[in-house]
Amino acid sequence: MFDVISSTLPFLLDGLWMTFKISLITIFLGSLIGVVVGMLRTLDYAVITYPLAAYIHALRGTPFLIHLYLVYFMLPATGISWLQFEAFPAAVIALSLYTSTYVAEIVRAAIEAVPSGQTEAARSTGMTALQCMWHVVLPQAVKMMIPPMGGVYVIIIKGTSIVSVIGIAELVRAGEHATQRHPKELMVIYGMTALLYFAYCYPVLRIARWAETKFGSVRLPS
Amino acid sequence: MDWILDFYNYRVVGQYLPEFARGLGSTAWISLLALGISLSVGTIGAIMRMSANPVLWRIAAGYVQAIRSTPLLIQIYLIYFTFPALPLLDRRLDELEGGIIALGLNAGAYMSEIIRAGIESISRGQVEGAQSVGMTYLQRMRHVVLPQAFARVAPPLLGQTAVLIKDSSLVSFIGVFELFGAGLVVLNERLMPNEGFLTVAVCYLVIYTVMLSVTKFAQRRLGGATG
Repeated sequence: MFDVISSTLPFLLDGLWMTFKISLITIFLGSLIGVVVGMLRTLDYAVITYPLAAYIHALRGTPFLIHLYLVYFMLPATGISWLQFEAFPAAVIALSLYTSTYVAEIVRAAIEAVPSGQTEAARSTGMTALQCMWHVVLPQAVKMMIPPMGGVYVIIIKGTSIVSVIGIAELVRAGEHATQRHPKELMVIYGMTALLYFAYCYPVLRIARWAETKFGSVRLPS
Repeated sequence: MDWILDFYNYRVVGQYLPEFARGLGSTAWISLLALGISLSVGTIGAIMRMSANPVLWRIAAGYVQAIRSTPLLIQIYLIYFTFPALPLLDRRLDELEGGIIALGLNAGAYMSEIIRAGIESISRGQVEGAQSVGMTYLQRMRHVVLPQAFARVAPPLLGQTAVLIKDSSLVSFIGVFELFGAGLVVLNERLMPNEGFLTVAVCYLVIYTVMLSVTKFAQRRLGGATG
């Protein structure tokens, strides 16, 4: 058993590194999209908010596996040249869109949790809507976003396991390869894979919980 | 009209309707059975988590942490590939059983957190009242605490059920045929990803919409009844 561990651990760590990279890239890109979508959704224009609500519900209502296959198979099949991407960009795009729906809901809930009296006071001193958002609402909302963002980050880390299906050499894929070399040691190899995920996710969850006691949190609409 | 047929050939979808229907039925059954497992595991987990016995609550808390910190895919692999032969069954789990059990155990951890919040929200006086009329612990749970707790957390439980239905698409990784598998059949036989996966996506969206309205209904009815 120990020789299996020592011989497969380097492969698994390579996979973990890939999981780490993808999750960092997608949490960054997904948060960018999500912050914009979430802020736009707090506006009062139905022309903007309805399509965005449809976007969020469409992604929330279907499994991530479907998003991945649609991005990986459907977009390149359109024949548009800049949509002809490989597995890695497809995985990053699908995961980022998936992340953005969670982030958007958090951003919206946090902004709406700032009492409206704050906005009214800021506007009455002559601030524009943007100034009010930037100087008054966002600084208060950001603190409330931190704890649920930890939860989203863990969802994304776990979500990266699914992109193994289009051939990204992340942790699950590395585990599958290792089982081909040691077909009798499935429990050891998948157990190690699970432990590596645990080692990555558990600290994030703990930090999120610590942040919740420190900054408070927003209740998300289920 | 040709461009529509190019992008989404509904005639092919028509040919594969029986496959999609079979996949939908399979997803429904898998989700229903996994839901049963998850609610049982969740209730037992919640009660264990609230126990004063350190062994019991530590096991329950560790279980929730372990499930929350690892991907469902790895949980499915671990249960399907490494579950030993069962003494009563005299064989290993097949992919359907493995998938359902993994899904149920996964959702059970999340359900237990929700159910625990529900049990904790029942006021102390209810339990004391039940004690004073001589109910045993099990009677109190069965007749007083759990019915109110479940009514109160029905909306989040339904939300978690919607997640469970979406997650059930992952059992296709170990070769179970369900809704997503129907899309894979169209991809493999016809090389038509749009026809396969857009149709599957619409099916999931319909399920999601139904779940959403059931949740809203529960929120109105049950939320109002128990305050």
